[in-house]
Amino acid sequence: MNEAGRNRTKPGSKGGPTAAIQTASLLPGDYTSIRVPIPPPSAFNKNRPAGCLLQAQLRHFHHAESARLPKEKRDGRRPEDIHTEAEAASYIAAVTKVLHPRGRKKSR
Amino acid sequence: MPPGLDALKHIVVLMMENRSFDHMLGSLKAANPLIDGVDGTQWNPDTQGNPVYVQPLAEFQSQLDPDPDHAFPAVDQQIFNGDQSNPRVASMKGFVQNYFQQQQDLAHSQKIMYYFAQDQLPVLTSLAMNFAVFNRWFASIPGPTLCNRAFAHYGTSFGQVGMSVFYPQGKSIYERLQDAGHTAKLYYFDQQSSSLEVVNLLQHQPQLFATYDQFIADCKSGTLSDYSFIEPNYSDHDNDDGSQLASDQHPDHNVQAGELFIASVYNAIQSNPALWATTALLVVYDEHGGIFDHVPPPACTPDGHSAGPADTQLNYTFNFDRLGVRVPAILISPWIPKGTVVGTNRVFEHASIPNTVTSHFIGPYPAATPREQAAQTFLDLLSLPVMRTDSVVFSS
Repeated sequence: MNEAGRNRTKPGSKGGPTAAIQTASLLPGDYTSIRVPIPPPSAFNKNRPAGCLLQAQLRHFHHAESARLPKEKRDGRRPEDIHTEAEAASYIAAVTKVLHPRGRKKSR
Repeated sequence: MPPGLDALKHIVVLMMENRSFDHMLGSLKAANPLIDGVDGTQWNPDTQGNPVYVQPLAEFQSQLDPDPDHAFPAVDQQIFNGDQSNPRVASMKGFVQNYFQQQQDLAHSQKIMYYFAQDQLPVLTSLAMNFAVFNRWFASIPGPTLCNRAFAHYGTSFGQVGMSVFYPQGKSIYERLQDAGHTAKLYYFDQQSSSLEVVNLLQHQPQLFATYDQFIADCKSGTLSDYSFIEPNYSDHDNDDGSQLASDQHPDHNVQAGELFIASVYNAIQSNPALWATTALLVVYDEHGGIFDHVPPPACTPDGHSAGPADTQLNYTFNFDRLGVRVPAILISPWIPKGTVVGTNRVFEHASIPNTVTSHFIGPYPAATPREQAAQTFLDLLSLPVMRTDSVVFSS
């Protein structure tokens, strides 16, 4: 885990579990250090079927996209055609980039 | 005014997903009897009438699959166990029988009673033991995520008891603050996870939003807004930084990943001494996700809306006069006495969030719903005359 709370567990991903969340606090006082376990690599499954929350989020994004964007700017995918968490993330990212372009890390 | 409250410049809320109080923090009753958790005597009948007792056998993942039902009718069964008398008794005895309906598997249905041992959740339990844990923080509605989260943003769900698209008829806490000259921000994890508040806030007021990377940067630079609301990562996916594990703890996402995320939020604040001294962090769950809790939800002040049978999918109209199931909630600040347990005589719910934030930064707000105005505020817990110098630090 790094300080941004990202949990990289899959082989091949950048970085990896690091000690970057350790805090070099400048405050004087007594500190109890607590180690937080890292989830196993097997926890990651982007092909998991999108659950009820993601399905609702997809419907809301589709609603916003339809209400907000002209047809030529819409992503084109329909919520009912999106089945996995990775597919949901891809669609949500595509619409978010239009609704909130400042959310792109490098453009901030 | 207590010095901690006088110093308070920032309120941060991290709202996690779908876990009940007993499931996550119930084990702490053994460590502190004042915490209203479980002791092994709490039970539900299974579909054959046999008692199923709570056990510390919860697992981080793959145990609550399929996702326990937490739509309005399912939660009604979990709370009332089919009682149709008038008035009905909230027995909290319908969890196992309700979960059985999803797989027709007697053994599997018993897992809805499992809870985590204290040492399985070092982040959540150590924060609860070191700061203030609420014995009576309930979801705002006996239903699913989006209507409950609406109470945190608006102090009402505008009559919604489900996951449908809705349009607000009142100002969000973020708009109120900006109108009053204050600053507010919603941080979502990344663009792949984004926000659950898309139809209203992200679509129309994108300037309110930033990513979680920006939260970390704002904590470091000391430029955090007066009020911040953080959304965890809602999915397993890849982004430019690699593979990202969902951190929301929604079943069947990995609970340890959520622990790491909570630690990250806490550390970001705690590692900046000036920010630590002037910030209160609330970690709270939006609803119980269909998982067992033993405390009956109490009645509450109605919010002026009602949901008919078409919305509740039951044969009655819900007048928003009863809270949802109890959820974990922890308030963190160096101005809170170590080991604070907020008593059973004080009831909180998600409308407590906008009421607290509004009261602290703006003052009286007559436009708030009756429900929000009646919701308890929590900043009185910052009661120490001198700031604590002890704390916990998380590392991986």
